[in-house]
Amino acid sequence: MTRRISKTKRFYMQNPIIQFFKFIWLSLKILVIVAGGHGGTRNVNGQ
Amino acid sequence: MAKIVILGAGIAGHVAAAHLRRKLPKKHEVLVVSPNSNYQWIPSNIWVGIGRMKSEQILFPLPPLYKKKGIGYKQAKVTTFHPEGDAETPKPYVNVEYVVGDHKGKTEKVTYDYLINATGPKLAFDMTEGLNPGTNKAYSVCTYTHAEHAWHALNTLIQEMKQGKKAKILIGTGHAKSTCQGAAFEYILNVEKELRRHGVRDMAEVTWIANEHELGDFGMDGMLMSYGNNIMKSSEMVEMVFEDRGIKWIIGAGVNKIEDGVAHYETLDGEFHTETYDFAMLIPAFSGHGFKAYDKDNNDITKKLFKGFMIVDADYTPRPYEEWSVQDWPETYQNPTYDNIFAPGIAFAPPHAISKPRTSKNGTPISPAPPRTGMPSGMTAKLVADNIIDMINGKKDLHHKGSMGNMGAACIASAGYGMTQGSGVSITTFPIVPDYHKYPDTQGRKLGKTFGSIGLAGHWLKLALHYAFIYKAKMKPFWWLIPE
Repeated sequence: MTRRISKTKRFYMQNPIIQFFKFIWLSLKILVIVAGGHGGTRNVNGQ
Repeated sequence: MAKIVILGAGIAGHVAAAHLRRKLPKKHEVLVVSPNSNYQWIPSNIWVGIGRMKSEQILFPLPPLYKKKGIGYKQAKVTTFHPEGDAETPKPYVNVEYVVGDHKGKTEKVTYDYLINATGPKLAFDMTEGLNPGTNKAYSVCTYTHAEHAWHALNTLIQEMKQGKKAKILIGTGHAKSTCQGAAFEYILNVEKELRRHGVRDMAEVTWIANEHELGDFGMDGMLMSYGNNIMKSSEMVEMVFEDRGIKWIIGAGVNKIEDGVAHYETLDGEFHTETYDFAMLIPAFSGHGFKAYDKDNNDITKKLFKGFMIVDADYTPRPYEEWSVQDWPETYQNPTYDNIFAPGIAFAPPHAISKPRTSKNGTPISPAPPRTGMPSGMTAKLVADNIIDMINGKKDLHHKGSMGNMGAACIASAGYGMTQGSGVSITTFPIVPDYHKYPDTQGRKLGKTFGSIGLAGHWLKLALHYAFIYKAKMKPFWWLIPE
């Protein structure tokens, strides 16, 4: 069954104050994931 | 002294040139060969395609920057590769043909010690009959000029809708093996938002058409992701967004022919259909450029360098989907035959797709090719630059590795432009290529590092990245602190 975006969720998604903090959180989280390093997949830590 | 030649000045080529120049002493030569004299921040093309940004905001000319930074530049296109040189020229070289100015049409041998092939994909519109941007009411946003044309046509249609015309808009993939569904996904959401902004949403039927077997596949076999406190499939997330926006969808569809306002397509169940439209934006198939390579005796050695795209340190052994492994994917992007040739970004030949290959009941392959977006292009270009620097400094082994199976990526998909009314669908994935051995219970990816988020913050983030990466590309002070 298709999920729906509720009115509460929509308010949360478009509220500038809430989204400002979300922006900070997203920026940091993405930075950690993307800049958190990368490497090979062959013989990494004995895998 | 070493001479490094970089073919292409897109995200991968430019990132490699910038890092090489910053880290190498001036005695070493860095030379970029590209037919395009402008750097364009491709992810913002979709905003040009809805008229919310001008081309000038997403591009800048490269020659003045390269001159200032001490990077050589030739506005030319590569024609042939000669990795062993020839009887006249003992050093390896590429033949290039100038594309502008007094030298236009003239060819030149450009020798190198190290070669970075960052030529990206060829936009293979010719693989779909009748698909040619600007004809048959079908457009593209793959380049800024394409995006400008798309906006011109869309704007005309919006004005007609304001006069009472009902319209059908079709956006998605224009070939059974297209990739880059993410760009089309962004564009359809932005177009839908603009229709609302112009007060004509109820006059338009907006339809998504794609070669994915389910929504949200994105050529990455879909994703299982964290979404708030929930765990959700990417298919459920995209379906939720499309339902919310009133967008219809056709999936498992291989578009095979475009006529004036009519898209012909075959579906996975083997049926043939047509869809009419007043405006379409369809992503073409991507292919290699068809380069040829020759050895020192002028024998054709194209197969040593190319498999459509350039051959690198991947495992290209043909295997069924069930036996695909994340270890098949390259780590250093070095050609196995010629260790001074590298191909980061989109220029390397992937070992196989990421999504499960599917064929229709008629035997037509209909499934996405693997996507390789800006973020991995930048990361792979930087590690190639670092390995070349190590080689110049006498190191034998390549220490810098970055498999797409051990690399995270973020896709910040714009879902509508506007500082207060905009929206974005932020998706991160780790790793890009699923590792089903390491993460067997979460569809090959690490939950938490693979997450989705929808909202205004996503738009701000995409806009912030736009300015940050153009700043970085212009090599302004401390540009190198901004990660790829």
